[in-house]
Amino acid sequence: MNKTALSMEDSHAGPACILSIGGRIDSGNAADLQDRLNKLILSGEKAILLDFKEVLYLTSAAFRVLLVATDEAERNASRIVLCGLVGQVRELFEMGGLLEAFTVHGSREDALARL
Amino acid sequence: MSRPPGLLYSVDETPPRTVFIVAGLQQVALISNSLVYPIILGREAHLSPEQLLDFVSLSMLALGMATLLLSAKSRFVGSGYLCPAGYTQFYLGPSLTAAHVGGLPLAFGMTAIAGILQAAIGPALRRVRFLLPPEIAGLVIAVVGLSIAVLGVRYGLGGGASTGMTSKYLAILAISLTTMVILNIWTKGYLRMFCLLLGMSVGYAASAALGLLDFSAVIPSEGIALLRFPSLQLLQWRFDASLIAPFAVVAIAGILNLTANIPYAQRINDADWVRPDFTSLRGGLVGNGIATVISAVIGSMGVNSYGPSIGLSAATGITSRSLAYIIAISFALLSLIPAAAALITTIPAPVVGAALFFTAAFLFTSGLQMITARLLDSRKIIVIGFSFAMAMIADINHDLLARAPLLLHPIVDNAIVLGTTSAVLLNLLMRIGVRQRVTMKLDAGNVDRETIEEFLSEQGGRWAARRDIVSRAIFGVVQTLEVVGDVQEGTEIEATFDEFNLDVRVRYKGAPLIIPERKPTPREIIASEEGERLLAGYLLSQSADRINCRPYGNMTEVQLHYDH
Repeated sequence: MNKTALSMEDSHAGPACILSIGGRIDSGNAADLQDRLNKLILSGEKAILLDFKEVLYLTSAAFRVLLVATDEAERNASRIVLCGLVGQVRELFEMGGLLEAFTVHGSREDALARL
Repeated sequence: MSRPPGLLYSVDETPPRTVFIVAGLQQVALISNSLVYPIILGREAHLSPEQLLDFVSLSMLALGMATLLLSAKSRFVGSGYLCPAGYTQFYLGPSLTAAHVGGLPLAFGMTAIAGILQAAIGPALRRVRFLLPPEIAGLVIAVVGLSIAVLGVRYGLGGGASTGMTSKYLAILAISLTTMVILNIWTKGYLRMFCLLLGMSVGYAASAALGLLDFSAVIPSEGIALLRFPSLQLLQWRFDASLIAPFAVVAIAGILNLTANIPYAQRINDADWVRPDFTSLRGGLVGNGIATVISAVIGSMGVNSYGPSIGLSAATGITSRSLAYIIAISFALLSLIPAAAALITTIPAPVVGAALFFTAAFLFTSGLQMITARLLDSRKIIVIGFSFAMAMIADINHDLLARAPLLLHPIVDNAIVLGTTSAVLLNLLMRIGVRQRVTMKLDAGNVDRETIEEFLSEQGGRWAARRDIVSRAIFGVVQTLEVVGDVQEGTEIEATFDEFNLDVRVRYKGAPLIIPERKPTPREIIASEEGERLLAGYLLSQSADRINCRPYGNMTEVQLHYDH
């Protein structure tokens, strides 16, 4: 498998479901992320933590999926929280003015402590 | 230019008076360790104890003046950064040879010629900057750090001293070094800022307790005066054409040393540092050349920028250029006090070793950071790996290389010079066949992101481009093609590079890209795919330093420019 391909792995810590994402998120695989998030929301997860530590970069298609999923979560009394935004990924969130559109924490530990 | 974390006083700031004075004295204590080279030269030239003290005093005076000239901020002379001067091992070999052939006057005369050469090369430095790309500068800094660490260990263990002496040396080295490390890591304020001075003081006290201090060898039989102008009885100069070559090589070695130290001084003042500022380098080199001539004229060895001092600036977070004044004044005053020269002459070897070993760590890691900030392909890996190995060989196989012809001794005798010479030559060789403009045609169909990533990463490695800039370019191309949709026949990517610019052009058949001036709101992005396209255009315009979209024959060309 290409090292930049999208990878997703979920786990649980207390009340939170952690989705660790790696690789590149773009129009070619954004639908996979959307499906995964929809399933988690519909399965009744109340707190979904997306860990971006291993993400290389994300394009506009990925941002749209994240915004739509955050809206969807709110409608289902759930919430999506982001952590591990570093380097180029954080810069892209900043450039798009999208940091304010999400709840963002520095590290996974920090996010879990506040959930 | 942005302020790095941990920097307490930057180059243009002056610390409060107490910090200012003690930080200056701390630098003086560190730089004084380098006086060991004139001391060796003086002893080999069979100077009497009184002459030796004069020689050390004049050398201190030269260090003060050289620090001012290297650190000055002016149009023609000085680097503009705190760049203290010190004596290095470069000049020792040729100076000893000259002293054996024609006495100290010949060593002084030839040193002056080396200084003139350096000052003359300074203005032309910008034209040869392709010889020293940032990854090579990083390598040189790492080698300087490693070679100072090796020197520190040699001093720390007392060289060829007896076993009993070595265990005492080891104890003092450990006490001194542990004090420096503990104060630097686990304390704040004055204790952290003056960790080196305190560590050296603790080591000095331990040396006294263990009976390692011996003033008898350096104090003349008739005693020493409280204050005394150093005698200028050594002021004579001679020249010998046969020694021009080794001293010319030493001059070049000094330049290479400077091309490591000044960029290091620049880097610790700027978190956004990406490459050496050649105006500052040129001024530093001219200052170094003039300082070496002055040093030779007043009767001392050639001086260089002193890497450990800049390492100390990084360790303590005090990089104020104004410290150069304190250093210069301190050395000028100390040169009038013979007891100070005697005290410095007797700084115990393990204390010198601890100071060098401590500061070497900061130099070494900074060099590694400069190397790893770049993408490196096999060519660059060979240049850096081989040159690093050559530098190590100079230290490890010293005896073997000693059999080389005399002319080559200034190169093979020294890890920094051998490593840097190897890096410069190999880098020139490996440039053969590397094109600055490359094009890739894309197959029609879906966007093959892996191929695009591979193409730009491999090319970035050949150019040793900055990792972060290449990542931005990859994002730019993928995001552009994502908006364009399926790839049509004839779509191509062209990339051109020089050290200052990375330009990527994406040519495709289709409508021009929309580049909005305002960012779309989250609501607009969620509402439709049009909102997503607006976000794509906006991200591209923000991610690239310049973006342009124009017709290109029957195609459209998106130009993405990245400052490098």
